[in-house]
Amino acid sequence: MIQFKKVIKKYNHHFTALDGIDLEIKDGEFVSLVGPSGAGKSTLIKMLIKEDRPSSGKVILDEVDLADVPDKEIPFLRRKIGTIFQDFRLLESKNALENVAFALEVVGAEDDDIAKDVEQVLAIVGLADKKKNFPKELSGGEKQRLAIARALVHRPKIILADEPTGNLDLVNSFDVVKLLWRINELGTTVILATHDDKIVNTVGKRVISMDKGRIVRDQLEKGKYII
Amino acid sequence: MVEISNKQSFKRILKSGWTNFRRNRFMSLGATGTMALALLVLSGLMVLNFFTSQTVGFLDEKVDVSVYFQNDAKEDQILKIKSDLEELQNVKLVNYISQNQALEDFKNRHQDDQLIQDSIAELENNPLQASLSIKAVDPSQYASIAQFLESNSLKSVIDKISFYENETAINRIQGISRSLSRGGLGVTLLLALVAVLVTFNTIRLTIYNKKQEIEIMKLVGATNWHVRGPFLVEGGLYGLFASLAALAVFYPAIHFVSGKLLSFAPNINLFQHFIGNLGQMFLIIVGSGLALGIFGSMIAIRRHLRV
Repeated sequence: MIQFKKVIKKYNHHFTALDGIDLEIKDGEFVSLVGPSGAGKSTLIKMLIKEDRPSSGKVILDEVDLADVPDKEIPFLRRKIGTIFQDFRLLESKNALENVAFALEVVGAEDDDIAKDVEQVLAIVGLADKKKNFPKELSGGEKQRLAIARALVHRPKIILADEPTGNLDLVNSFDVVKLLWRINELGTTVILATHDDKIVNTVGKRVISMDKGRIVRDQLEKGKYII
Repeated sequence: MVEISNKQSFKRILKSGWTNFRRNRFMSLGATGTMALALLVLSGLMVLNFFTSQTVGFLDEKVDVSVYFQNDAKEDQILKIKSDLEELQNVKLVNYISQNQALEDFKNRHQDDQLIQDSIAELENNPLQASLSIKAVDPSQYASIAQFLESNSLKSVIDKISFYENETAINRIQGISRSLSRGGLGVTLLLALVAVLVTFNTIRLTIYNKKQEIEIMKLVGATNWHVRGPFLVEGGLYGLFASLAALAVFYPAIHFVSGKLLSFAPNINLFQHFIGNLGQMFLIIVGSGLALGIFGSMIAIRRHLRV
């Protein structure tokens, strides 16, 4: 379970990115986080992987206050979570197979398991025949599917997707969302931050609307993109 | 999940370092080339040091001081002075040459010159003087040795001390050897510093190019060692290949130079010296290469690990 308690994030005392966020997300939920750019969606996601810290308030993941997680333990926190970014963030010097395998090497998996799981997850995202290709040899949609494969392969409890369709056309965008959907059906919590109304309206699950660092609407079921 | 053994993760790091080295052929070649040049400079400095120490030794060998005695000086007086001298700390060696010995040496030196041989045979008395030739531990100490002789109680039997005749020459030689060793050390330190800085900077740029990759690795949950390991291996590989390349250039080069050098400095055999110390040379160059590569990478990567 994810909890935000009165979380405030200020940059340079002038700009308030998050202005008192109170939020609870249960295990296995699919949450769409919507709002215009600058609403605070990305900041919220950064808090969860401790890429950024709140100025005040608490972020709690599975009963653990993230403020109590020492720097040394951050890698272990991040391994519980799979993250997908708008700009893919793939390792350019590694091929598709190695990009996915890296996430498993990091958690210390055995070579045999890595080989098996990577093949499997690449098949799920439809990249089985491109495993030797480097990121620069893949299309935008393929890159994002590869990023999803990497986020998925170590079976995290939570998937965070920050504008995963921001660089993709409509067809590829729907492919990505369908994948996230399937992942969610297998029991993984998915948090999807986006400003793409068509996608949100298709998903039709819990929708949290943000604006200027605040939560302005929280539709628990069959949510629509409304600001 | 079961934690895998250190051996396996070490193997993984080695493999990943090697893959990075291979895939970034261009960058690896640049870094390795720069390091090889730096290591060549280092080897060149060792040649320079060898040279200066040889030359300084050679010059110092040339310097000594002789004391010549009056013809009526008794042998036990001379031997007393000799033992006095030998008690001095800054005296390395004292050699006694008696009048007869001096004559013998003189004859031998001129054995091909019939005129001199004949004239010597004509003489009734031995015209040559007995002498002590003195070697100091350090050439700067001859003045004090000369002074010691001046103040000796048996000064009356001393005819002359060669130091005063050769003083300027001795001082000049001393000056040359001193500035040679000092200059050699200065140049060594300076060039070694340049080599280290250039190498370090090359590695820093190589790693800077991968700044984003490092950031991504950290976001995927890699610990610092997961990120650092392959870079250290890569740095070590630069060092290893650079040192092998440097040695492969160095030995043929000194073989070539050594041949040219023998014609005017026959007592300095450069190639022989470095072949004789091949093992040591190998250790120094490969060791410096590895150390430069690995520590360079370690320092260069440090600032990128805070994500």
